[in-house]
Amino acid sequence: MEQEKVEVLKGTLDMLILKVVAFGPIHGYAISQRIQQISRDFFQVPEGSLYPGLHRLEDRGWLQAKWQETETGREAKFYTLTRAGRKRLSAEMVNWERLSEAVALILSTAE
Amino acid sequence: MTGWLRRLFHKRVTEERLDAELRFHLEQRVKDFIASGLSPAEARRRANLRFGGLEQVKENCREARFEHYIQDLLHDIQYAFRSLYKDRRFAFVAVLALALGIGATTVTFSVLYNVVVDPFPYRDFQHAVVVDLHDLAAPPHDIARYHYTIPEFLAIRDQNRVFDDIVGNYQLNVLYRDGKGTRRFLGGYVTTNGFSFLGVPPLLGRYFAPGDGKPGTPYVFMMNYRLWQTEFQGNPKIMGQTFILNGKPRTLIGIMPQRFNGYGSSLWLPLDLGLGAEGTVFPVKDPDVIWVCARLRKGVSLQAAAADVDAILHRLAQANPGELYPQRFKIVVRTLLDFVVGDFKETLYALLAAVSMLLLIACGNVANLLLARASVREREIAVRASLGASRGRLIRQLLGESVLLAGAACFAGCLLAYFGLKGLVAIIPRGPIPEETVIGLNPAVLLFALGTAVLTTLICGLAPALHAVRRNLSLRMFGSGKGTAGGFHHGNLRSGLVIAEVALSIVLLTGAGLMMRGFFALTHVELGFDPARTLYARVTRAADFYDNAAPSELEVPGKKALFFEQVRKRVQALPGVLTAAISLDFPPLGGAGSEITVSGKPSQQWESMVDLCSETYFQTLGLRLLRGRLLSESDIDSARHVAVVNQAFVRTYFGSEDPLSQKIKFNVFDQLPETPHGAYFEVVGVITDFKNRGLVAPVRPEAFLPHSITGFDDRMIMATTAVEPKSLLPSVQREVWAVDSNAAVTHSGSIKDFLAEEAYIQPRFSLITISAFAGMGLALVLIGIFSVMAYHVALRTQEIGLRMALGAQHGSVVAMVLWQGLRLICLGILIGVLVTAGLVHFLAGQIAGVSVTDPLTFGVVVIVFLGVGLAACLQPARRAARFDPLIALRYE
Repeated sequence: MEQEKVEVLKGTLDMLILKVVAFGPIHGYAISQRIQQISRDFFQVPEGSLYPGLHRLEDRGWLQAKWQETETGREAKFYTLTRAGRKRLSAEMVNWERLSEAVALILSTAE
Repeated sequence: MTGWLRRLFHKRVTEERLDAELRFHLEQRVKDFIASGLSPAEARRRANLRFGGLEQVKENCREARFEHYIQDLLHDIQYAFRSLYKDRRFAFVAVLALALGIGATTVTFSVLYNVVVDPFPYRDFQHAVVVDLHDLAAPPHDIARYHYTIPEFLAIRDQNRVFDDIVGNYQLNVLYRDGKGTRRFLGGYVTTNGFSFLGVPPLLGRYFAPGDGKPGTPYVFMMNYRLWQTEFQGNPKIMGQTFILNGKPRTLIGIMPQRFNGYGSSLWLPLDLGLGAEGTVFPVKDPDVIWVCARLRKGVSLQAAAADVDAILHRLAQANPGELYPQRFKIVVRTLLDFVVGDFKETLYALLAAVSMLLLIACGNVANLLLARASVREREIAVRASLGASRGRLIRQLLGESVLLAGAACFAGCLLAYFGLKGLVAIIPRGPIPEETVIGLNPAVLLFALGTAVLTTLICGLAPALHAVRRNLSLRMFGSGKGTAGGFHHGNLRSGLVIAEVALSIVLLTGAGLMMRGFFALTHVELGFDPARTLYARVTRAADFYDNAAPSELEVPGKKALFFEQVRKRVQALPGVLTAAISLDFPPLGGAGSEITVSGKPSQQWESMVDLCSETYFQTLGLRLLRGRLLSESDIDSARHVAVVNQAFVRTYFGSEDPLSQKIKFNVFDQLPETPHGAYFEVVGVITDFKNRGLVAPVRPEAFLPHSITGFDDRMIMATTAVEPKSLLPSVQREVWAVDSNAAVTHSGSIKDFLAEEAYIQPRFSLITISAFAGMGLALVLIGIFSVMAYHVALRTQEIGLRMALGAQHGSVVAMVLWQGLRLICLGILIGVLVTAGLVHFLAGQIAGVSVTDPLTFGVVVIVFLGVGLAACLQPARRAARFDPLIALRYE
């Protein structure tokens, strides 16, 4: 059921977008599909968060956008990672790892 | 960076691209759904459903971008312009109120800054101090003296461990003789370090050098800018020329710039304190003439400096006991600024307090107007919120209006300040503030004005904006939006503001009222003569006695008196003159004092004022004889040792004893040249009291002696006239020169003008400015009450319509609205009167001749306020009564 799909955690969407875009130029629809696929349908990215997020990341200079033709010959807006975006991504990933380690530590503690 | 700029200016392209991007997404989704086997219609429906509101997503995308802020800002400003234009009356009143507040604050702050904080162009003036000697037996604020003898000055200079530099100076009259006649200027001897002490370079020439003034060196002098301009037309060629001053040729070596008034003289002579130097030779032993100004060493406090000098002077007092030192005394060191500005500081602080109140009233007014507007616009705000405007956006929009208002107000306020300052400088009394002070708008003041404006914006703008947005917005839309009866949301806050405004204004108005009463009392003090018809002219004969070490041929006292008698007779003979008299000084401000000894009574510290006059003095001033006789012509001619005293004298020193034939010695004569030393004067008459120590202070004991007993060079000619005294001044000058071309008329005019300049100008300054502030405050409160009541009535249109439909009479509607306004006003008045009563003792120093709790003033203020307040409520009340019930009920 679609209802059981989890919305992406607040604050982690930026990181997921940056990670997905890091593989190469990609448009918005493909980003949402990719996130859903890679998470094995666990995450669903609502459009209402995805596009404002993309525009915000572009505004900060972490993403770059270009209008290009898709394989089906239509014009679409393709995003790529900038150098600043790459830096940002690695910083966010380090943060996330430390966060999840800490959470795991707490949860695994015996009573 | 260029991205957002491009997007800002190519808005249409940007919008199209955003739309294309989102549509592409939707279409891909539809395609995928169709591929998974849904019908095209169902696929589109599902895709749309999943996407959510397209416009909402677009708006969120726009908001994620930087140019969005600029766009919003532009929109806010545009919108603020439009909505303020729509409500022009509101905008005008708000800007006016703020501008008045800002302008008045700026002007007052400018004056205060320039007079109190930064008045002098002098080097390091914060550390310049003066030295006072206080008699511990006298009241704490009486200064026994601030002049010192040369040995005292030298002791302080050589023994102190607290001063970096120390200057001594004293003033004297300098008679300048050119071809036409003799004129007198105020001169001063200054120790040669005096000019480098103040650190202002000369405009032309040089300062005194350390050798100047030593015996055997050429005589030199310096001149101030004003004298150079008025007497010598600013001619630079006079530098290096020689002038005959007090009979000695002196060379002009320097001219000081305009903004320099050190040592308060028009020209300066070098003072060397070595043995036998000119300027140190006095006809009296140890005269205390030197005024001391010193610079504190770094890190030394005023108290420490005082203690150091105190020890030095106590050592001197022990070594040379005598007249110079009171039994017990102490030294107080205070700053030069305090010495010059003194009491005027209090007036300025009172003004600052008044103007802060005005600013508070103005802010309260604008806050009130903004609140009233916000409550009327509740519905509009609710609609905006439900259409997707965020709270931040709404707050910004409301704030935009206040910023625009504040910007306009700041501009108008600056204009007002500029012209207000010009006006104020014209009426400000020059007496009590340092002459070097230049009052102008300076950067610090401008910054203050801007700060005021920003603060006002925040106070007035943010509070209503937050208030309007804080509540649950969606609920508002369903209400009538105008607030029904009882739904008057900000009623309490706004009523509180009105009450506060009224209270503050009461404080201002009462202060102004008390000053007005005080000023009236001051100008109507019974003088006993008509100051508008009394002429005075001070006549100086030879050089000042301090400078006149060698006795000349004139030194027989009687002969000098004869000169003044001749002048008096000639003045008396002028057409338009009723009587003419000779004296040393004239009431109510003048008069010399002396310690006295009464024959046959134990020696006590008794004091009296002394005037030396001709027999016509009493008639001229309209003084009535109570007992004995007045001075007679033969008393004057033979310089008899007789005295007439006033009632205060009899009351203070003789009580119920018979004053006639008592004998009094005036100790001051023992220390002066050309006066009878050790002489006792027999009391021959008693006259009525009249003001002799200022317009306010109680009458002091005074004695009147024949002027012919002394050889002073300096007398006052007074005359009562049948015509305007000023028109006679040229004739008086002519008569003086006709008797002796070496004599000079120094001050002259009518006593009325003298009083206007000396006694009334400072109270009048306070009065005019405080009254102006109070008037502005009253006008602001009037506007405040009016606008609140008008909005109030507008909000209750429906309720009032309902009441009238149910049969309420016009009169009762008017009464209802009036009563509502009156309640606020009365509460404000009550609080204001209580606050004033608590604060009023701060004014006590400013007001004389009337009690600070004068019930008449308080009563009049309350009545004025009730009247003004009711007038402000009347128009809204009558408007309410004119509502047509049918229209009012349908109103929406």
